[in-house]
Amino acid sequence: MSITLDIKYAARLLYKKPIFTALTVFIVAIGLGLTLYTYSLLSNLVFKPLLLNKDTPIISIEAEFNHSHLSRRSVDAFDFLTIRNEMDSIDEFGVYEEGIALVGKSQQNSGTRKYNSVRVEWNVFDFSGVKPIMGRALKAEDHFDGAEPVVVLGYDIWQHYFLAQDDIVDSIILVNAIATRVVGIMPAGFSFPTVAQLWKPIEQNMLTPTERSRSWLFAYARLKKDQSFNIFKQELSALNKRIANNIPDNMRWRINEKGGYLRAVPYKIANITHYYSLFITMAVVVVLILLLACINVGNLLLARVNERFKEVAIRVALGVPRKRLILQMLLESIFICTVGGFLAVLFAGWGLELSNTVFEQMYRVTENKPFWWQVSLDTDAIILLILSVIAMIAITGFIPAWRALSGDFNAVLRDGTRGSQGKKFARASQLLVISEILLSCVVLVIATILLSSSYFAGQADYGVETNNRITATIELPEGSYPIRQEEEFELADTLKRTAFYYDLKDTLEQMPNIEGVAFMSHFPGTGAGASFFEIEGRVAAVYNENPYSNNEVVSRDAWSAIGMRVIQGRDFNQSDISAEIDTIIINESIANDFFPDGDAVGQRVRRAFRNGDREGGWQTIVGVVSDTYHGSAMRTSSEQYSSYFMLDNIGYSWIDIAIHYNGSQALAEKSLQQAINQVNSNATAYHMQSYDELISQPMILVSAISKVFLLCGVIAIFLAASGIYAVAANSISQRTQEIGVRRALGASDSIIMQLFMRKAVWQLLIGLSIGITLSLWVVNRMTDTMVINQGSYMVGLIVIPLLIIIMVLVATYVPTRKIVLMEPSDALHHD
Amino acid sequence: MKSNNNSNNTTDISNAEKATQVLVKLHDIKKIFYTDDVETHALNNINLTINKGEYLSITGPSGCGKSTLLSLLGLLDTSSSGSYTLAGHNVSDLNRDERAAIRNKEIGFIFQAFNLISDLTVAENVELPLTYRSDINTKQRAAMVNTALAKVDMLHRAHHFPSQLSGGQQQRVAVARAISAKPSIILADEPTGNLDSKNAQIVMALLDQLHQEGATICMVTHDPRSAARAERMIEVFDGKIVADQLTETPTAIAV
Ligand SMILES: Nc1ncnc2c1ncn2[C@@H]1O[C@H](COP(=O)(O)OP(=O)(O)O)[C@@H](O)[C@H]1O
Ligand SMILES: [Mg+2]
Repeated sequence: MSITLDIKYAARLLYKKPIFTALTVFIVAIGLGLTLYTYSLLSNLVFKPLLLNKDTPIISIEAEFNHSHLSRRSVDAFDFLTIRNEMDSIDEFGVYEEGIALVGKSQQNSGTRKYNSVRVEWNVFDFSGVKPIMGRALKAEDHFDGAEPVVVLGYDIWQHYFLAQDDIVDSIILVNAIATRVVGIMPAGFSFPTVAQLWKPIEQNMLTPTERSRSWLFAYARLKKDQSFNIFKQELSALNKRIANNIPDNMRWRINEKGGYLRAVPYKIANITHYYSLFITMAVVVVLILLLACINVGNLLLARVNERFKEVAIRVALGVPRKRLILQMLLESIFICTVGGFLAVLFAGWGLELSNTVFEQMYRVTENKPFWWQVSLDTDAIILLILSVIAMIAITGFIPAWRALSGDFNAVLRDGTRGSQGKKFARASQLLVISEILLSCVVLVIATILLSSSYFAGQADYGVETNNRITATIELPEGSYPIRQEEEFELADTLKRTAFYYDLKDTLEQMPNIEGVAFMSHFPGTGAGASFFEIEGRVAAVYNENPYSNNEVVSRDAWSAIGMRVIQGRDFNQSDISAEIDTIIINESIANDFFPDGDAVGQRVRRAFRNGDREGGWQTIVGVVSDTYHGSAMRTSSEQYSSYFMLDNIGYSWIDIAIHYNGSQALAEKSLQQAINQVNSNATAYHMQSYDELISQPMILVSAISKVFLLCGVIAIFLAASGIYAVAANSISQRTQEIGVRRALGASDSIIMQLFMRKAVWQLLIGLSIGITLSLWVVNRMTDTMVINQGSYMVGLIVIPLLIIIMVLVATYVPTRKIVLMEPSDALHHD
Repeated sequence: MKSNNNSNNTTDISNAEKATQVLVKLHDIKKIFYTDDVETHALNNINLTINKGEYLSITGPSGCGKSTLLSLLGLLDTSSSGSYTLAGHNVSDLNRDERAAIRNKEIGFIFQAFNLISDLTVAENVELPLTYRSDINTKQRAAMVNTALAKVDMLHRAHHFPSQLSGGQQQRVAVARAISAKPSIILADEPTGNLDSKNAQIVMALLDQLHQEGATICMVTHDPRSAARAERMIEVFDGKIVADQLTETPTAIAV
């Protein structure tokens, strides 16, 4: 009854001040929307354990993450066997190796297509609790030596490549040019371990190896029901120590400098390790923004209470019970937060939809989107929203209610003025201003540093020409180009493979629109791996005290096609193929740093752990080429050193190609396809894109997240500016009478301005010094994901504090000036 | 009630001497307030002269313009028209800072609502107007604060905050603040309006004492007993001075 009266009254107040109402609802909606969005994103992508139809979380067991190339590191099959045999807390376990397969129909020359394949342990389907929709799953016997090659196809291949052919099960298809029997079809959407489109049984000797090898495996596992993940990690690290102590020297490269090797991680986190700190930072920033929003709304409501002080005083005089009064104060924030909460759902939903689009775009070329990267609002998120709304009502409603109850009502009623304002309240509003400064400083500094870093990374100079270049990966069907392990065939088989690449190069270069062709294992801007190398006569005592370089395989006559130059010595040539000595080309940085006298050519270097190879593994430097950066843009400066090996001696079944063209990109892509058909139509080119796109790909997520940060930054500026202004204006207007008194006593304008400006400067000093310290601390957590350059620090640490200083000074100056300009007699009677 | 013992005769001579010195001269002062299309003629053609050493009371019904008149006298507001001469200087056309300087040196205010600054101690409140001057050093300031506080008998509370004092004590501090800079005129707007009668008497006695020591006082009040303590009574009605007379025997209630 009386409550309805209060509600009516609150509604009337809100309606009477539409701008105030809209502004506060908007701030709440943004704060909550951002929180909801981030929560959904992080829980879907990172934190919510991957369960896949069972109730124990899936974990990944792999090698320590390699930050210098942002890539997951694999484990020796031999060590997985030890884990399988010795670790009792594991319930289910399987190993896999992801790759790419060229799928063709059994009739020759029907054209192949590249799909993501995984060579996997037969239990993968049981493990994930998914059954084939047709045919059978893999079984243990499929692994055996000499067993018929079989494959389980994903729904997508069956639908699109085999056009939903209904007798597909049991038919023979070509996988990498090997006749393979299709035994089953998996349901749509299934692509465990991450992006698999077809599943092949891994060789038996990967499951039960008898010795160490250079194998490249990952593992999925579930622990037994009552096993703790932390205890499992401890057990694993004990095993790790044992392995590190016993590993033979030629395998020591598996262990990193700090002795790290095996690690267990929640499955989702394993896939985003390189983005992890970015996500965490995002969460921190969003929480801070939510806090900022709370303070702003609380302050706006507080200012309202101050306006309504007399009314409240009258209510108190009329004997309103405390509870009623608090409820009355709360009603407004209940309305504002609830409406804001509804809008927040819309904001968050829109943001998540946008994110899904970004993920699609990110993985459009590689089709490497992990299957759980599909974000949406789930019940958890809605529960979180409801809790946040309640918390927000409490925070924003409490401040004004406290103010309403702690005022000197007697004074108000006695002489119509507010009476003495009270030290407590004055301190509270100072605290508000300082927290506004602090929070907006942290949010803005982080957002700016991230934004400008990702901008600079995008602008980074990789030392190559990317204009008018397309890149692709060329894959040869291994079945058509086998390499027999017997020594007498090995060289010939290798040369047969490389002959394909050089034929392709010649064919392309004869076309009028092609200027040049280069093959490289990974072109600058991307990268696979780096390792230690030793310089003859200067080998360090411990392997990891040697220098570290990228290793790439390159074709002859490749440099000019991507704008690189031979600076000293010569390029690889045909005589290197059958020469007595192994040859190598290094880049300018290695030459400058280790052979400063310009005598690099003719010296010998070798990879660490390769002393068992021919000639003790020594390779003679024949040339020095210009510097480029390998590895992704996020860490452009991580590896300056690069070494290049000649393709002819290595004979990969796949390699990246870069084509320098004139005319249109589409025509160049067509030319590549044509040339492949001409040389061998069973080879496939995939991941075809411009060189610029290739480089920007690892940056898509970072730049998308920095756009979120930009949004956060814009919101933070808006919140900070309006909040700082409102808080300062509110606390200054509280002192109108005091200003009136001071002026009556003869204070000049400048004395009063100084008084308030000095206080603002103090608040700035406190807020900014804490804020900057805090943001530096947060930013330093991110340096494993991104290189943060000097320029970004400058922008973040100079421009932002300057901006905040200006905001605070203006926010102090304007309202103070306004009161100073009042006639003192008006100021004195102001309420 | 009204007692007739004349406590004023001791200062008769000095008052007579000062009577020749004009301190305030208002000529044809008008004040119009504009609010939401409404014009309020708060003061109309006010002509008023105040001599040095005079003790003046302004009375009249609520809303007649007493406070407005006092604000104009105190340079807290500007008139719409007319001229104002203070101690021989025309102060109608001064700029903001010049007016502030005059308020600081020449005028002491006592407000109904005390208007002490709650974050400053009693001593700091009294010191406040002195800190706005460059010609008084710290030592002198401390001495002046002490003298002023001693005069109102509040020295023992110098380091308290206003909120720790009773209303009467606060108003005594306000009086100390008003006199600390030895102003030419003390302006008081219903100084006892927020006080109980006992405290009101104490404050009134203080004003009497100040007057006897030579201070010029101009006090707005609607309490006829308080008004009667002044030597000259001005009555305002509807923005005009309708009566200006000397009280035959200014009264004082024995303390
Ligand atoms: N700042 C102002 N704005 C508008 N009107 C005012 C203002 N101050 C006083 N008034 C009006 O001027 C008239 C005189 O007011 P005031 O001098 O305060 O009267 P009082 O004699 O009660 O002290 C009143 O009608 C009042 O409403
Ligand atoms: Mg009045």
